[in-house]
Amino acid sequence: MQRFLDPRVLAGINGLDLIAKTVVDGFVTGLHRSPDFGFSQEFAEYRAYTPGDDLRHVDWNLFARTERTYLKRYRGETNGQLTILLDASNSMQFTSHEVSKMNYARYAAAALFYLAIHNQRDPAGLIVFDDEVREFIRPSTRAGQLQRLLAGLEQAEPRARTNFEKPMQYFQELLRRRGMVIIISDFYEEPEAIVKAIEPLRFHGSEVVLFHVLDPQEIQPKLNGPSILVDLETEQRMEVIPEYVKGEYRRRMDAHLEQLESRTKAAGMDYHLLVTDKPLDAALSEYLFLRPRRN
Amino acid sequence: MGFFAPWFLAGVLAVGLPVYIHLLRRHTTTPRAVSSLMFFERGTQSSTRHRRLRYLLLFSLRALLMLLLALVFAQPFVRRSSAAASEKLLVVAVDDSFSMRAGSRLEVAKQEALATLAMRKPSQRAQVMALAGELQVLTQPIQDDGQLKAAVSGIQPTDSHGNFGELGRGMRALAETVHTPIELHVFSDMQQSNMPANFADMVLPGNVSLVLHPTVKTPIPNWNVESVDAPSQLVDTKKARVVTVIAGHGTPAAERMVSLVINGKVTATKKVLVPADGRVTLAFETLEVPFGESRCEVRIDSADGFAADDTSRFAVRRADPERVLFVHQAADSRSPLYFGAALGAAAQASFVLQPIVAEQAADLDPMKFAFVVLSDVASIPSILEHSLVKYVEDGGNVLIAAGTADSHRDRIPVLGEVVADGHFYSRSGGFASVGAMDQSYPAVKDAGGWSDAKFFYAASVDPAGSRVVAKLADGTPLLLDQQMGQGHVLLFTSGLDNVTNDLPLHPEFVAFVDEAARYLAGVERLSGARVVDSFVQLRSPTSLAAVSGGTSVEVVGPDGKRPLSLADEATAQSFRLADAGFYHVRFATGRDALIAVNPDPRESGLELIPEETLKLWSGSAVGADAPSDSAGGAAKPMAAYGLWWWVMLMLLVAALAESLVASQYLGTQREEV
Repeated sequence: MQRFLDPRVLAGINGLDLIAKTVVDGFVTGLHRSPDFGFSQEFAEYRAYTPGDDLRHVDWNLFARTERTYLKRYRGETNGQLTILLDASNSMQFTSHEVSKMNYARYAAAALFYLAIHNQRDPAGLIVFDDEVREFIRPSTRAGQLQRLLAGLEQAEPRARTNFEKPMQYFQELLRRRGMVIIISDFYEEPEAIVKAIEPLRFHGSEVVLFHVLDPQEIQPKLNGPSILVDLETEQRMEVIPEYVKGEYRRRMDAHLEQLESRTKAAGMDYHLLVTDKPLDAALSEYLFLRPRRN
Repeated sequence: MGFFAPWFLAGVLAVGLPVYIHLLRRHTTTPRAVSSLMFFERGTQSSTRHRRLRYLLLFSLRALLMLLLALVFAQPFVRRSSAAASEKLLVVAVDDSFSMRAGSRLEVAKQEALATLAMRKPSQRAQVMALAGELQVLTQPIQDDGQLKAAVSGIQPTDSHGNFGELGRGMRALAETVHTPIELHVFSDMQQSNMPANFADMVLPGNVSLVLHPTVKTPIPNWNVESVDAPSQLVDTKKARVVTVIAGHGTPAAERMVSLVINGKVTATKKVLVPADGRVTLAFETLEVPFGESRCEVRIDSADGFAADDTSRFAVRRADPERVLFVHQAADSRSPLYFGAALGAAAQASFVLQPIVAEQAADLDPMKFAFVVLSDVASIPSILEHSLVKYVEDGGNVLIAAGTADSHRDRIPVLGEVVADGHFYSRSGGFASVGAMDQSYPAVKDAGGWSDAKFFYAASVDPAGSRVVAKLADGTPLLLDQQMGQGHVLLFTSGLDNVTNDLPLHPEFVAFVDEAARYLAGVERLSGARVVDSFVQLRSPTSLAAVSGGTSVEVVGPDGKRPLSLADEATAQSFRLADAGFYHVRFATGRDALIAVNPDPRESGLELIPEETLKLWSGSAVGADAPSDSAGGAAKPMAAYGLWWWVMLMLLVAALAESLVASQYLGTQREEV
């Protein structure tokens, strides 16, 4: 089933709904073997009653048989609101193989929406931004919400530059309910500035997850000779030699990733690096892993 | 190391082209898009340095390509000692000129040449040549020792005059075909007269090293008969004189016995005192030769080491006076008077003038006359004109004096030349002088230029197709020679009287008539003396016989053999008199001649070329200081060895390597795009 999560395979499928279904079905099938994850309203554990516990959770059937009081615990007892913030700046259109960062982000978002709405019955919403908010679909579980979200993803074409500060201020006003906020971006910004811009969401009580989407060529670029590089967002040109890319660039990129991860985790947020030539299951696992934690 | 064409080294400047391409020209690459330049740093300086390093191999190959290209055109060479180059060609040139007959010079030269050949390496190729008037190649470049020695042993002395200029020309021609170094060994008496007029003719090519082997160290005294002045044809033996010059070369003052030998018999002997290293003139007042052709010699009892030049030969033809037909107008009595007087006054004249009026000459056969003169005739009978045309085409000669009569006609008889209006200088109260004269022409050889003669009239003819011998100051041709068939027509555009010019009143007129008569009668051609290696014309170049091969000539050499084959006798136009002695020649016209041939008198001067000149020629004091050393001996002249072939090979390799390296870089470029 792993091959259904391969972005190269997904690139050959038309329609985000079909992609999302394929990803989630394949992912769920693979999860049945795992004891660590469950779904909403599923039994989780028994715990001995202690004074002060809610008597509504006592398993009276068990008390009748054994005369012992145990509390029955379930997972996903409440609906978790999922909001995905998708970076649609020009840098997201970079690619070195079949799947661009933007498409990979679309696939991941679509799969998460499908999983949330179709499987978990959770309300899901979408915010597309670059240096301002371009699209906002309010989280909902209404009929047709999944199609609206997927259409929003389809229409999110990369343009302009990334600027986290202005959209994030807007998000704080929009996000009234607590829930899970997933930010999908390539995060070409100083980690400190990113955390500073996103941190208020965490203060609001939401679970914030950063999906850092990068192309393998961005992590370990290869140059055959001195080349002139053009920034997709600023169109600035720069002549670069292979020696620098092999040495200093990789050190700086690793430091950036490490710093971003440590800063976000220090701020109580989750961080996950998604490389566009890797399967999408990591993103879905992260979602399912974090969702019960909110309860 | 040197360069044959060093100016092509300026092409090295073309190395600047790859320098421009690799280091100066802006390098262009296709830009690549990246998400962000956040983690990149500009690397222009290090990038340029890197690019230089990366393309260094290609740049080096391209610069090398340009350098080698310039070198190929500059033709580099290295000088290598002859001993080190076993592949060099050994050329042995033995002087076999007339002076080598003195003493045992030729034998010494041949022995030294054989010794030189014996000391060469067996694998070394050698070539034998004989040097006299021309360079004679006796063998091809071969390694066969026996054949080479046989060629040297077979060299016999000749009567030719040696000329080192021929050796220089021959070596230059050889160096163009033989690309290996050449080691030239010259075995000669190093006679000074062998030097050409221009020293540059002797200079050898750069890849030829010269080793000189003088066969004599000091010149020997030598007396010789330097010249003989005798009539080639005579009528009256009492009037004939033989004037001879006896010369001494490096000799003390001494008395010498001089003999006049006619047909093998000594007819007169005189004793003269020859001054030290000087000359003396001696005359024999009579030349008692029988009728017909006689073989005459002037001999001295020199008693020196060079006996071959003690004799000078000359041939004399004794005959009855030949008649000369002089056709003139009835009213013209001056022309035959002047011409006849001059003909009779000539010292060696052997002609009798037969004047006749033009109208009475119709029945005459021109073949019975030595030559014919047409003097100022307005018209001649057509029968006579046809006879004269045939007479000229068969080898006869005619002198035409145009005179004023031709001014009334539109053409000159026999010649058919169209006559324009004549120039009457007297009508304008003046006269014309001779402006230019070709004194190499036999008929005016000693005419003195006619500078004092005044010409009052000259016919105007078209000189095209004729040899203009003399012309007046205004450019009007005065004396022209035109060949018709095998004969000649000599056209004098003025008259032979004292009316149209005053030339008959000058002494030069006698000399002119004398020389013209001998030239027209062909006396000069039929007898006398020549020098070895001169040529005798057997038939006219325009002769029909030469084309059809009809009439054969006949040449009998001094040894009684016929040097020409039957085919050559039918077609040859000239013959080279290679040996001293008497030649019997029958020309295509049917006339016989006895020609005496003597060696060049310069061969009798045995003075040696100065040592400094020999060193200058050989270009190395080593070769001159050790003349007796053989090829493998101490003499090791340097020879230029061309390297252009190796440079060309390197050029091809560099071009191939450049193509391979460049194609790899191109492949990288494609991948980047």
